[in-house]
Amino acid sequence: MRLETKLGLFNGLSKLLLVLLGALFIPPIVQRVAVNHTDQRLLDKKLELLHLIDRDGLAAFLRAEQSESYADYNILKQEYITITPLPIALGKVLAPPTERIFEERRMVDKEVEDFRILSYVAALEPTAAAPRRYRLEIGSSLATVELLTDTLRRLALWVLVAGALITVFTDAAFAHYSLRPLRELLTRKLRSIRQPGEFSFARLDTDTTDFRQLDDSLSALMRQLQTSFEKEREFMSNVSHELLTPTSILQSRFENMLQDPTLPEQHGQQIVESQRTLYRLRNTVRTLLLIANIENEQYLRDANVPLTQTVHDVAEELDDRRQQREIDLLLDLSPDYVVPRANASLLHTLLRNLLSNAIKYNHEGGQIRVLGRSTPTGGYTLRVEDDGPGIAAENLPMLFDRFRRFHATGPQAPEGYGLGLPIAQTIATFHKATLRAESEVGKGTAFILEFGAA
Amino acid sequence: MHVLLVEDEKSLHQEVRQFLTQAQYLVDSAYTYAEASEKLFVNSYDFVLLDLGLPGGDGLDLLRDARQSEKQEASFIILTARGALDDRIKGLDLGADDYLPKPFSLLELTSRMQAITRRKFGLKRPEITFGDAFVMDVTARTVRYGSTPEVPGPEVPLTKKEFDLLHYLLLHRGRVLTRLQLGEHLWGNVLEDDSDSNYIDVHIKNVRKKLAQFGSPDFIETVRGIGYRAV
Repeated sequence: MRLETKLGLFNGLSKLLLVLLGALFIPPIVQRVAVNHTDQRLLDKKLELLHLIDRDGLAAFLRAEQSESYADYNILKQEYITITPLPIALGKVLAPPTERIFEERRMVDKEVEDFRILSYVAALEPTAAAPRRYRLEIGSSLATVELLTDTLRRLALWVLVAGALITVFTDAAFAHYSLRPLRELLTRKLRSIRQPGEFSFARLDTDTTDFRQLDDSLSALMRQLQTSFEKEREFMSNVSHELLTPTSILQSRFENMLQDPTLPEQHGQQIVESQRTLYRLRNTVRTLLLIANIENEQYLRDANVPLTQTVHDVAEELDDRRQQREIDLLLDLSPDYVVPRANASLLHTLLRNLLSNAIKYNHEGGQIRVLGRSTPTGGYTLRVEDDGPGIAAENLPMLFDRFRRFHATGPQAPEGYGLGLPIAQTIATFHKATLRAESEVGKGTAFILEFGAA
Repeated sequence: MHVLLVEDEKSLHQEVRQFLTQAQYLVDSAYTYAEASEKLFVNSYDFVLLDLGLPGGDGLDLLRDARQSEKQEASFIILTARGALDDRIKGLDLGADDYLPKPFSLLELTSRMQAITRRKFGLKRPEITFGDAFVMDVTARTVRYGSTPEVPGPEVPLTKKEFDLLHYLLLHRGRVLTRLQLGEHLWGNVLEDDSDSNYIDVHIKNVRKKLAQFGSPDFIETVRGIGYRAV
């Protein structure tokens, strides 16, 4: 998953969590706050009332002797105040004032409503001859409180949701903006190139230190890589020039010398021997060059090459050698396979090396089998089998090793296979195929070329 | 045949020059870009053998210039040790007639020159007469014995490789060809170091046997220790 997506997802989820927590915790808090607020108001009112009683006397409230209690409502019945005298408890010491706050339903003017009620019981006239206790009640309609808390709750939630949404978007936008250099690095500099040579050294436009460092170290590494690639190519080109030119001179000189009609036979033989040595040198140099050129991607892969056709061409080319050794050839490619994005002449060389080995290391009158089969996974396998003496198991891995082979000695050493197999393997790799060998001493060897699914 | 040899490597230049002179070519020499450019401007040649890496310039530029001028009708053969693959494609695109990577065999070079000449002058049925009454038709790839203008003689049944071998020997009539040179011609640039001498010997034996059924195959001489020669 892309970093930006991850950040965005995390951001969104954390904001969602925040909103959920808000939805869970805000209502009780608001409720609490509203209740506290109401209580405080009730207490304030009580003090105010007590102050009024103090000033005007209780009588002002309890106007008539017959109506011993006093009640006052505001018009919408949101609040009420009652003062109720309690029965006189003679001979008793007056209890200290009590106060409590609670919720209860009350009938006010024929309507029942829930009220938050402060009830205060105390002797309101401590100086009177017959002190008496009164119950002072101040009520506040809960419906009002409810309405208020509801509004508050809704407001708080909306602010929360809106804040969350806005920050989700701003965060995403910022992440998008600040990750732009990384995106650019990935798409423009890395994903769009197939080999280090195509790397662009244009500096990334960023003020983020991390990306700056990433870009700089990547560029430094690529530069090193390119330099060494460059050196390798230069080296190969020098080798080709420095070795092939003198080889060329010698080859031409030998050819000229051989034309001399007065050349004594003995000298002639020596020249032919030298020529043979020179050919060996030349072929080695050419082989190394070919391998280097393939590995440097100097060859195109722009053709679809049918294997059957190539195998037939190669077989025909080697027909005379095969027939001289009376070796039977069995070609069975069913079905045929068209190698996609291939280089025809390289594939030809590959198959030629395999077939030529199969002829060389066969016994006279033996058989060569070239078998092509599709694999269940959509790939293709081509086996080239011979009836030769086989190769010892411990030498099999060395067959394709172009460097080890040079100093492999001893009776079991597969030196005779020459550079043909390293070339074949290089070409196979170039075509994203694998080449391996199976062998049994005394029975024969099979070289197996495996193409993956397209 | 007038040949301009453009090659800066002195020793190689000398060897090629010697071989071509011996083969009756008239050889003109250029060692640098400037020399070659001047000679190409002044003279007209049948062949230009062109090395690419020259002091003072790139051989491909010479080729490009020459192809743009009207009067230079030479056939160009590029000789190069530069490993780059593009050179071949570029060279052929620019109108080179052939391309030989160094190191090349001088025999191969002269064969290519002969092939180009044949193409250029449109010799429809190039025929080579050899032995007592053998005639090789290069186009039809047949060898017949004792043909008269009216009646073609019987055909010698040669395989493809046998025909190629005989043809190569006849192309270089009078020269000794080693088994290596013959092998290289028959199987191309085979990247293996085992000598193909046995195969060549068997082929020669078979060719002689087949020819002997019609006439004397003695024109193919064995040069002891060296190789074979057609006379």
